[in-house]
Amino acid sequence: MIEFKNVNKWFGKLHVLNNINLKISKGEVLVICGPSGSGKSTLIRCINRLEKIQDGEIIVNSSLVHKKSSNLTQLRGEIGFVFQQFHLYPHMTVLQNIMLAPVNVKKISKKEAEKISMKKLDQVGLTGKSGAYPAQLSGGQQQRVAIARGLAMSPEIMLFDEPTSALDPEMIGEVLDVMVNLVSEGMTMCVVTHEMGFAKKVADRVLFMDEGMIVETGTPDEFFDSPKTDRAAEFISKILTH
Amino acid sequence: MMAFYFSRLVEIYPFFLKGLLMTSKIAFISLISCTLIGFVLGIARSSNNLILKRVVGVYVAFVRGTPFVVQIFIIFFILPEWGLQLEAFPAALLAMAIMGSAFICEIVAGGINSIPKGQWEAATSSGLTLIQQLRLVIVPQAMKVILPPLVGQYVLLIKDTSVVSVIGVMELTRVGWVTVVRIPEGLMVFSLVGVLYFSISYPLILLSNYLERRMAVQ
Ligand SMILES: Nc1ncnc2c1ncn2[C@@H]1O[C@H](COP(=O)(O)OP(=O)(O)O)[C@@H](O)[C@H]1O
Ligand SMILES: [Mg+2]
Repeated sequence: MIEFKNVNKWFGKLHVLNNINLKISKGEVLVICGPSGSGKSTLIRCINRLEKIQDGEIIVNSSLVHKKSSNLTQLRGEIGFVFQQFHLYPHMTVLQNIMLAPVNVKKISKKEAEKISMKKLDQVGLTGKSGAYPAQLSGGQQQRVAIARGLAMSPEIMLFDEPTSALDPEMIGEVLDVMVNLVSEGMTMCVVTHEMGFAKKVADRVLFMDEGMIVETGTPDEFFDSPKTDRAAEFISKILTH
Repeated sequence: MMAFYFSRLVEIYPFFLKGLLMTSKIAFISLISCTLIGFVLGIARSSNNLILKRVVGVYVAFVRGTPFVVQIFIIFFILPEWGLQLEAFPAALLAMAIMGSAFICEIVAGGINSIPKGQWEAATSSGLTLIQQLRLVIVPQAMKVILPPLVGQYVLLIKDTSVVSVIGVMELTRVGWVTVVRIPEGLMVFSLVGVLYFSISYPLILLSNYLERRMAVQ
């Protein structure tokens, strides 16, 4: 479903993705972790071409993402993206936030879009908040709206970039619960997170990055309980003492 | 004597009304053209395209760095040498459009640049086209930053229309000049001219103040 073939990317002199090879299959849940600055965000941002790569191939559902000619609108319609800082549109209500892409990208009717949006809002447990503005919501609620916004396009893939890192601890659970529910629906997911509990519960595979390279991959239990590399072991002990 | 001049002035009031009408016409057309061109330039100036950014930057710097009078002279007296002969009225409109759009460009670019990158990224990720991103997500938010100085700029532009009198457009200021030759009461004549300008710009000043206050609350 998603494939990276010898992908390289530089920011100036910084080799931010160093020969990445990766296959993610339909329905798989991949957790990506690693120290800050190791290239995790860049890696998943390449999947919907928020970032361009300089070398290699990225194939999503048979569309060649690295090619200039690829149909980005269609590609991005198939991929939901959830940011660390939510990035809801502050000038729109919750419902308008969720409806925006279905109406303007998929060109479905407002009425239909509203129906879908309300369903997604229900799915993230915020039925009563459709008329609220983002600023009136807590961080956890905003992030759940952001997830609903991604889901409203009926994507096949959801990408999460540290979805709980900006949240107060007491709100992390409500967002993770929504994500766990998505897993049970068979969504293909790439999640950059250091939430070990979440990884152990639902991830099929954990991928550990450092300095732009994939250093280690394994099942969550393998990775967290008996890491193969020193770098991973050091990283895990750091997040445990956190 | 003064009373005599005053009654003369009252007699020729249609002349002033004509000047006021011409000033309003130039101002109205200019505000619209400057806004349209200014927004396009401002969006180009805030884009990621380095060439576009640079080209617009040079344009803006050139316009802002030269006196408006000189720009009008260039358009009216120098362009004909290159084969582009314009009547005074269209020359005035062209000069206003060039000058005003450069200032509005900077206001618009400033507003767009004030929107966090994440808003672009969220809109991009959802599949919106660049135009949709601007129209639905970026510009509506940027308007809060753009509107107060934009209306302030409108007031400046209205007053700047007086400069086109130098190429003979019969607008308010020119009417003042022509009148004062016959009625040598400069204070009286130009007070009237000033009051008439004020009658157009004051509503916009009020609007600008109102917007300033409203945006500050939010
Ligand atoms: N747009 C950019 N321009 C230049 N350098 C960048 C840019 N985005 C990220 N970087 C750098 O690339 C490296 C990897 O960034 P990132 O993928 O965000 O790491 P992570 O998500 O693992 O913390 C960091 O050193 C970061 O400073
Ligand atoms: Mg990151």
